[in-house]
Amino acid sequence: MTPSPTGLRVNGRDAALDGMPDDERLLDTLRWRLGLKGTKEGCRTGDCGACTVLVDGASTLSCLTLTREVEGGEITTIDGDSEDPELRRVRAAFADAGALQCGYCTPGFVLALAGLLKERGRAAPVEELLDGLQGNLCRCTGYAAIVRAVALAREAPT
Amino acid sequence: MSPFELLTPETVDEAIAELRSADDPRPAVLAGGTDLLLDIEDGRTAPARVVSLRRLPWRTLDWVGGALSVGSTLSLRSLEADPAVRERLPGLWEAIHAVGSVALRHRATLGGNLGRAAPASDLVPMLLALDAEVELVGPGGVRRTPVDAFVRASRRTALGPAELIRGIRIPEARPSAYRWQRVRPANDISQIAVAAAFSPSRRSWSVAVGGMPPRPILLPEVARDLGPGAPNEPARRSACARASREVAIAADQRASEEYRRRLIGTLLDRAIRAVTIAGEGRP
Repeated sequence: MTPSPTGLRVNGRDAALDGMPDDERLLDTLRWRLGLKGTKEGCRTGDCGACTVLVDGASTLSCLTLTREVEGGEITTIDGDSEDPELRRVRAAFADAGALQCGYCTPGFVLALAGLLKERGRAAPVEELLDGLQGNLCRCTGYAAIVRAVALAREAPT
Repeated sequence: MSPFELLTPETVDEAIAELRSADDPRPAVLAGGTDLLLDIEDGRTAPARVVSLRRLPWRTLDWVGGALSVGSTLSLRSLEADPAVRERLPGLWEAIHAVGSVALRHRATLGGNLGRAAPASDLVPMLLALDAEVELVGPGGVRRTPVDAFVRASRRTALGPAELIRGIRIPEARPSAYRWQRVRPANDISQIAVAAAFSPSRRSWSVAVGGMPPRPILLPEVARDLGPGAPNEPARRSACARASREVAIAADQRASEEYRRRLIGTLLDRAIRAVTIAGEGRP
């Protein structure tokens, strides 16, 4: 189903944007207009990766993206029961590896890794996937378990 | 209420007309927005109108007879994902890879980075070392200018009031490398960086330094020291020593002059050693 050119499709559902101001960031649209609080605001300057979502499958910093600029696009966030195969795989891997402490950075990590797997495939070397996550910060410094989750996400059977 | 109105022209002519018709202050041009939105948020710029380039047909990448043409609104990630870019212009790939994170590079563009002309741009030094040209389109038509003439000072360019960057052209494949120093490897700004490239057609090196104000610059005398091919060790040492001794180095909040002066020779040495010239092996 094609989304309306003046709306978004978020996690498979149409989202209306009537009356939205031109300067609204995608992060604020998701959290405050649509009530999807899974996407987190960290630095709001593109440095921490906490607000990462997928726009047409590509990882995107929702704090540095105008919603109007991605009108007509498919947005994927951590909220809800996704049928997206990479997202399901990565969520399971983070859960199995216990790859979270306070959990604030987790949605960003999960979406960033799901985006990398879409782009590069599961055959991508683990070093490349870890390199691709350098834009995501965990202030609890729980990186060891996150690294295990990356390996699990590559290796787990479909 | 939005502090600005977002315009999304469908054609290049419409975009130029928007830029011409507007009053003071000039509308801002939005490519990927990863710099512009921060500039607006921090009050460095306060445009009443923002002209988005997203509907213009400039997300292109073409190899023509060994030259690379990149449309100004192609994402850095798309450029990075082209295997030919990594193979034929390895230094450009390294410089792109140095910008922000994967998620940032999905939106950030080469045209946007060049148009903003930040002193610490990781891309401008490499474009200088590759002799890249900027293609501009405006009310008077299309014109081309070398990146070295386009970037004038910190955040100042030769872009005319109603002109847009349409694309960037790199004339030939060049063995090349980009090396930088930062507090934090990822998602940080380079304190100093060196781009080195060898032109097979001219049999000569180009070296540029970036990461400090007012703008990235070419170092022609340093490049000359490297000679017409893979330099021997004395030539390499001489070039690195000249870079540390003679380059006008500025201090700012990110690094002192002394720190940068010590690092420039080291980074240049690493960059040259990373360049493989066909038939000559590694220097």
